[in-house]
Amino acid sequence: MRRNDPLSRIVDGLSSLKLTLVCLSLLMVLVVACTLAQVNLGIHLAVDRYIRSFLVWYVPEGTSLRIPVFPGGGLAGGLLLLNLVLAQFRRLELSWRKAGLWTVHIGLALLFVGEFATAVLQVESNMAIEEGQTKSFSEDYRRMEVVVTDATDKEFDEETAIPDSRLKAAREISDPALPFKLVVRAYHENAQLSMGGAPSGATAGVGAGMSVAPRHPVTADGEQNTAVALVEPVLKDGRSLGVYLLSNGLGAPQGFIHEGRSWKLALRLRQYRHPFSLTLKDFKHDRYPGTNIPKNFSSLVRLKDPAAGDDRDVLIYMNSPLRHGGLTFYQASFGKDDTLSVLQVVRNPAWTLPYVSCVLVALGLLWHFGLMLKKSLGARNS
Amino acid sequence: MRTDLASLVVISSVFLMAACGDESITRARVPKSEEAPAVMGGMPQDEQAGHAAQATGLKWTLPSGWKETPGTGMRLATWTPPGGLKTEGTVVSLPGDSGGELANVNRWRGQIGLPPTDEAGMAAARTKVSSKAGPVSVYDLTSEGETKTRLIAAVVKTGETTWFFKLMGDAAATESARPGFLAIMKSLTP
Repeated sequence: MRRNDPLSRIVDGLSSLKLTLVCLSLLMVLVVACTLAQVNLGIHLAVDRYIRSFLVWYVPEGTSLRIPVFPGGGLAGGLLLLNLVLAQFRRLELSWRKAGLWTVHIGLALLFVGEFATAVLQVESNMAIEEGQTKSFSEDYRRMEVVVTDATDKEFDEETAIPDSRLKAAREISDPALPFKLVVRAYHENAQLSMGGAPSGATAGVGAGMSVAPRHPVTADGEQNTAVALVEPVLKDGRSLGVYLLSNGLGAPQGFIHEGRSWKLALRLRQYRHPFSLTLKDFKHDRYPGTNIPKNFSSLVRLKDPAAGDDRDVLIYMNSPLRHGGLTFYQASFGKDDTLSVLQVVRNPAWTLPYVSCVLVALGLLWHFGLMLKKSLGARNS
Repeated sequence: MRTDLASLVVISSVFLMAACGDESITRARVPKSEEAPAVMGGMPQDEQAGHAAQATGLKWTLPSGWKETPGTGMRLATWTPPGGLKTEGTVVSLPGDSGGELANVNRWRGQIGLPPTDEAGMAAARTKVSSKAGPVSVYDLTSEGETKTRLIAAVVKTGETTWFFKLMGDAAATESARPGFLAIMKSLTP
């Protein structure tokens, strides 16, 4: 007997087929809107604003006002997941007869969970590597870091990297590896640097003669921000070592010597270090004969991972990435007259979930339609 | 209803985690041989400030035991004093005045952690050495702290070119190499 209390009515609503259709419609609208928004925002910001958010916000030009105008992918997807789970428990009986439908529902729920996990856990970066070059790090092309390097040793540099989010949020940054704290005077996601003009506030290094004009950050694909940080190393006794202007638009790190140790300061694209290295042995850009139409891009790399005892050649080409150490290396781009290869490096611990989901849905459908077929054949024979 | 609540908790947790991200300070030991990533732009850096070096126009004589090796980039030459001292001399030449003497003095001061000075402070710190290439301004700077670093910088202007000579290293080693460095300054000829 159906109950008619408010809670039951809410659960009825949340598990209704109408809600399923509404959520699916919202998601379709969001996909179209997100695709159109990519023209101006670039793919990553568009996905963040439309798909990986609870609400889509409208921000009038020149104001800090934020007006919610549409449900985001997080809200629509979350509701759809809830709807799917509730419908499953309310409508489907737990029996072998319905095992196929249970499996299909679980597979679909896993697909949603996989997307949420990807939104949270996936990290994308690039490895631009020239023929003959060896690299063991990739770079995040959308994020920055200030790196403080103890360059005293002749063989090694000791790097301490501070992500840009810390620079935006913190006034002072301390770390046990540093004999000084960094006071963040200013951080601009994007700015134009020029010689002369209004003083930037820098008193040491090359920035002392430069001016900084903040700009709106760029997000479109292929555009790069020139981030600027004004940081002041301050010793434990309170003595300042000067204010340095750091930027990825500057050609090389700046630095000073303190207590006989040589320190370098720089702002650069955020780097992710890997416990293995790749050496680009050969990059190939095949074309169809007699044309300039690309046929295939491939990178022959030497993978060396001493810890895993791996030392082998790997050919990376379209749709055939290298998977190693929890990372996937895709052929992404190239340059320098086909002597430089750009690999997209993706860390996504949830990358297997869509595959598991598809297998579950396929098995569930096979099971369910198999049962239906058996039932139908049985009825016909009798 | 327990299942429904569990679903909500999972979804909420995932979005809360999204708000946090990986924001920790990281440390790494990196071999110096590993090539640094390509950087954008090309703004000037240090005394290699975006100008072409001019390798001609000035000569010098090294004292006994000193060695000279060709420099790289904007650095024209590197000098090594005898005795394995932990100090090193460098030579750079740039067109024009390269931002002015005060800017360069403050840049050198910054390199060893000293605060900037003003015109009066610079004038008080300046000593002069005579050479055939003209008067050479010499600045002798020593860092603070327990482990001291010393930087002796010399500047001479010849025509439209400014020459920068620098001896920098451990304070004691630089003190030992100082007479030789000043002898080179005196030997400068156009």
